[in-house]
Amino acid sequence: METSNNNPSTSRKRSRSEDNSAPESNQSHSLDNLIFSDTMVALQMMRAQFPRIDKVSVEPFILQSQLYSSVKDRTQVDRELESLRREKVLRVFKLNTGQDDHALMFMEDYLKQMKRAVKSMETKKQGVFEWFEVHVIHSKPEPCIGHQELLSLLSLGGKVKDEDISLLINAGLLTRQLIDSEMYWFAIPNIGSVLKGLTQGRKELLSLLNRKKYKEMMLAILEKKRLRLSPLDIRFHLRDLLGSGHLKTIQTPSGLVIRVVKN
Amino acid sequence: MWKKIGDRESGKLRPNSFITRIRSNRASSLHLSNHKELVSSHRGSVNSLQVDLTEGRYLLSGAADASLAIYDIQRATDYEAGGLIAKHKPILVDKQHQNAHKYAISTAIWYPIDTGLFVTGSYDHHIKVWDTNTTQVVMDFKMPGKVYRTAMSSLATSHMLIAAATEDVQVRLCDMASGAFAHTLSGHRDGVMAVEWSTSSEWILMTGGCDGAIRFWDIRRAGCFSVLDQSHSQLGRRPPLADKSTTKVSTSKARAPPRKVGSGSSSKHSGNSKIIKQTKGSAKQRLHPGLLTSQDRATAHYGAVLGLKATEDGMYLLSAGSDSRLRLWDIQSGCNTLVHYEIVRLQSSKAIQLDVSQDSGVVFLPCMTSIKAFDMWSGKSKMTLQGHYENVNCCCYSSHDQELYTGGNDRQILIWSPLKQIPADVQDECDRSTGQPLAADEDNWSD
Repeated sequence: METSNNNPSTSRKRSRSEDNSAPESNQSHSLDNLIFSDTMVALQMMRAQFPRIDKVSVEPFILQSQLYSSVKDRTQVDRELESLRREKVLRVFKLNTGQDDHALMFMEDYLKQMKRAVKSMETKKQGVFEWFEVHVIHSKPEPCIGHQELLSLLSLGGKVKDEDISLLINAGLLTRQLIDSEMYWFAIPNIGSVLKGLTQGRKELLSLLNRKKYKEMMLAILEKKRLRLSPLDIRFHLRDLLGSGHLKTIQTPSGLVIRVVKN
Repeated sequence: MWKKIGDRESGKLRPNSFITRIRSNRASSLHLSNHKELVSSHRGSVNSLQVDLTEGRYLLSGAADASLAIYDIQRATDYEAGGLIAKHKPILVDKQHQNAHKYAISTAIWYPIDTGLFVTGSYDHHIKVWDTNTTQVVMDFKMPGKVYRTAMSSLATSHMLIAAATEDVQVRLCDMASGAFAHTLSGHRDGVMAVEWSTSSEWILMTGGCDGAIRFWDIRRAGCFSVLDQSHSQLGRRPPLADKSTTKVSTSKARAPPRKVGSGSSSKHSGNSKIIKQTKGSAKQRLHPGLLTSQDRATAHYGAVLGLKATEDGMYLLSAGSDSRLRLWDIQSGCNTLVHYEIVRLQSSKAIQLDVSQDSGVVFLPCMTSIKAFDMWSGKSKMTLQGHYENVNCCCYSSHDQELYTGGNDRQILIWSPLKQIPADVQDECDRSTGQPLAADEDNWSD
């Protein structure tokens, strides 16, 4: 096999075959997307691989569907996530970008993001944010909270009025639920543009594959593409769509192929 | 296979494990049946299927064109293809009956004690009880809304109540003995799509609503005693013995009485409710203790609950929701066991009927146009049965013969069974439809 250095693909092929001598499983997606044996390892890898976005500073978050595509056993993922959530290492947020989308964020990252959002909001009453962080975040690991409970937890810090809850909503830390007016979802502040990029990126990637004759593409070629509408990189979207079942991988003699699942 | 029979004979293999092994082998190799077919005469989508509980011989189906059919699935009416394929024609089809339903039949169930009666519920707001032999309607209940599901308890020895889930928020219990309504269960905040009696107690009813909540009712008492919450979870089949008390403390909220209230603990129940009334203060009006759980807004699914199925041992409950999730709940602790079933999408407008094969722990779930078979404990998809042309609505597994019956919007009822070996010589020589040997220039499918 020729290894001319001006042809990037063959030089990459070489290194991949070297790396494949010690993979963790025989179902490696590509160089980086090996199947992980542990949810925590997968989470940390994906957090490290979170793309840098120039305009918006967002701490790394991971979608739950990405975990499903990276760890083989989904029940194990669910259970490990549950124990991590109970230990307050992670927080789970329900996103409004579609059916059953959950985002996971490490506690340190979330607290950093929260502080950044609070700092950018110029108000006098910074106290309510501290009460929120100390009493609510640290004691409620669930993704949603009821109105009464929120009031009772916040009043552990001091006197709470309804305007304080409006402050929290304006800061982006809480969102009202559409179906139930008494419940709030916890939310990641300042993440709106990234979520918009997420939905548009998904659509773009799916339409890119749907336009092909056989609705499939080689992974090696797909990985090099850049999405126009999404600030997140293509690996992020690929993992997400593989985990949610819209795409699937097929092993072929010339590598992995990504195909759209039709139902 | 022969070795296993020899082992059983000599006593090396217990009879129960022998039976379980054979059944699970057969249940894992289901294919579209190559030796049995049902001739479906429905002109509308098949909404409900049930095999009778006493003999496992008659299949009752209800369709969207207000027709019902009963099939004898063990004896065929005629054979074709030279005796290879058994065709079962319906014994009873009812469309033009003067007392028949006017709109689609959404549910048809057998009377659990024998096949002399069956109960149907329809979108025309009526529940009718029919006598099978004379094909007459013997009782008619008018509901306030479209009937989505009806259920009768197979364990009941002291009542003959039909639980009706309608688009009204209240679940009504119709008494067959008196012809009147027994009582109503309120607590849901939207229509109720799924209803299922407990398999361990004749008094416990489980309902799933369009608001996403699953409630457990003891019909002897007002109000539900338990609402399943998807955020209450346990890591494993049963909760660990040591931390039962600690998880309760960490996840308990200042609201209604504890999760499981048995039949003999009504005094404890009222004691708790007194305490809660005091701590709530003057802001809350005094509610009847049974109605405290109507304040509980926990949801089991992020969308509507489309189907419920309890395992036969009464310990677990499976619920399918329109958020495309199938969840396994431990009934005793009321927790989500977090088993993840790989489903992409479930149809979200109609109720679906799922089934469980008890011995092998296989769950059959209609997912759009196919039926997926999952291993109940690990959540892995074992098989995908593709055969229907349109969405599948209902499936029924008969553990007698390890056959699965499925009905869909394409008006067909398909049978899935382990493949039967067709002797090779018979297969090659004969023409399939007439059983005559093939002429030299003819195909199987030429006219």
